[in-house]
Amino acid sequence: MDPENLKYHKEHTWVNISGNKATIGITGYAQESLGDIVYIDLPELETSTEANTELTEIESTKATASVISPVTGSVVEVNEELSDAPEILNEDPYGKGWIAVIEVEEGADTNDLMDASDYEKYLEEEVKLK
Amino acid sequence: MKVTILGAGPGGYVAAIRAAQLGAEVIVVEESEVGGTCLNRGCIPTKALVASAEVLDKAKKAKDFGLELSGEVSANIQKIIERKNKIVGIQVKGIRGLFKSWGVRILDGRGVITGPGKISVTLKDGGAEEIETDKIIIATGSRPAQIPIFPFDGEKILSSTDALNLEEIPKRLLVIGAGVIGCEFAFIYKEFGSEVTMVEMMPKAVSTEDEEISAVLERELKKKKIKLLTNIKMEKIEVKEDSVQAFLSDGKTIEADKVLVSIGRAMNSENLGLESIGVKTGQRGEIIANSRMETNVDGVYAAGDVTGGIMLAHLASKEGVVAAENAVGGDSAVNYDVVPAAIFTSPEIGSVGLREKQAVEKGLKVRIGRFQFRALGKAHAMGEIAGIVKLIADEESDKLLGAHIIGPHASDLVHEAALAIEKGLTARDIAHMIHAHPTLAEGIMEAAEDVHDSAIHMPKK
Ligand SMILES: Cc1cc2nc3c(=O)[nH]c(=O)nc-3n(C[C@H](O)[C@H](O)[C@H](O)COP(=O)(O)OP(=O)(O)OC[C@H]3O[C@@H](n4cnc5c(N)ncnc54)[C@H](O)[C@@H]3O)c2cc1C
Repeated sequence: MDPENLKYHKEHTWVNISGNKATIGITGYAQESLGDIVYIDLPELETSTEANTELTEIESTKATASVISPVTGSVVEVNEELSDAPEILNEDPYGKGWIAVIEVEEGADTNDLMDASDYEKYLEEEVKLK
Repeated sequence: MKVTILGAGPGGYVAAIRAAQLGAEVIVVEESEVGGTCLNRGCIPTKALVASAEVLDKAKKAKDFGLELSGEVSANIQKIIERKNKIVGIQVKGIRGLFKSWGVRILDGRGVITGPGKISVTLKDGGAEEIETDKIIIATGSRPAQIPIFPFDGEKILSSTDALNLEEIPKRLLVIGAGVIGCEFAFIYKEFGSEVTMVEMMPKAVSTEDEEISAVLERELKKKKIKLLTNIKMEKIEVKEDSVQAFLSDGKTIEADKVLVSIGRAMNSENLGLESIGVKTGQRGEIIANSRMETNVDGVYAAGDVTGGIMLAHLASKEGVVAAENAVGGDSAVNYDVVPAAIFTSPEIGSVGLREKQAVEKGLKVRIGRFQFRALGKAHAMGEIAGIVKLIADEESDKLLGAHIIGPHASDLVHEAALAIEKGLTARDIAHMIHAHPTLAEGIMEAAEDVHDSAIHMPKK
């Protein structure tokens, strides 16, 4: 997936919405600041998730971090490959490192999401200064 | 002063030695083998198996440590059990040696109280002996509890004792009850190669632990691909020719080769002649004793698992010591507020004092310090980075109230916190003390610092 065309959540997840399906993952910035990722607790199918809440957790050699869901809906697909090879999240966060597909709840608000240039600006102005 | 003790588990054998040290004439009656559950079919045998599992795990990870291993590494259960039996044998001899050295007389047989100060022993090698005694300490322990509708058969429906003596590694092992014993066996047999599923009635695994600890353990179960089903009851088990079919309360069924039932322990208080002297028992058959280990009958004490409550070997031993001291005229009591507990899962769990929820329920205002093992250099060097230290301190006094650790060597690490709680030390006291580097104990120091948001190896909050 081309990072340019994705939408971004301020907690460093990306989302690619097509119809009512949203593929999600963590951003390049997220994987870089986490360092070597050693485990992802993959969500179960049919789990319902709400935007801005924890969908799951990732463990790196440095820290454990929440993956915040960018959308509200229900998990319909997960990337099982990550369970045995979590390092893919470091290697290809926007491609092979996708985490799950969420069927977006009808009428759910996705207006808060940023586009690529806004996210870039947000990183420069707010996150990296902290 | 003559003291007679029923049972030579960690409660009874320790009581016997202490009573002898204090000058009493001591007889201890044991119907099975000295060391009791703990040594023969509990703590020590499970830890021998855990040790084999750990070596296997490390061997499988040899490459990560830069080692070239040629050939397959796999578990040979017969050899593992042989090693376990050897370890147990050495310890049994050790206890018998201690008895001899302190002049404790051991009677191998079953003892029954027949009246005030009277015990009748049916000896193992035939014959009987009648004992007259001034004081009695009952330390007859406990046994695996079974589910009446599917009792142990030693073949497919196993107790923890059976699971310590298997001749083959089951391909599919179903564990009923995700408490301490169930979880320990789940990790052991998973490492040995079984496909393991656990079924638990409660919403969490090891539900007696702090919730954050349970959560980390559940994560580790998941990592190891041990399946845990919670909030589910086992309704029925059908034993087939070479498998078992388990029917769950959610309507699903599970097929397995063997089922380990680890749902708790039953107290050995029946057929002891308690009624002959009027010793009171509670609803579950536990002998009722106070913190001085006195029963309702003068001169009769009880210690260990048979008194119900927390069933841990070291608590049984402490109760044995207290019972013995009081029996010979001392004035001792057990402090139940500081009882460290260890669970030998992978990683281990060590805990002491109040859980967060308990503290809150008591109306205490607390501050929590947390630290992740993965922030320690030593944990990385060891290749064991999963886990946390969680310390609970009183907001006002800063006194440590509880410590909950899951991670490498948590069972050893917990004792620093236990001493702190016992002696009323504060989080600042622990943080102030220099901890050697690089050690896992630094995790305790950092968590103590974190109580006041000043852990060095943690990003600013
Ligand atoms: C699989 C397993 C793992 C465990 N792991 C741990 C652990 O890691 N750490 C921990 O702290 N605890 C552990 N425990 C618990 C621990 O084993 C018990 O808490 C401890 O053994 C209790 O000691 P006790 O002396 O009260 O009773 P027991 O050890 O049960 O000893 C009682 C003894 O009394 C004898 N007896 C009974 N009735 C009579 C009679 N009428 N006459 C003569 N003798 C009699 C029995 O044969 C037995 O030897 C484990 C238990 C199990 C089952």
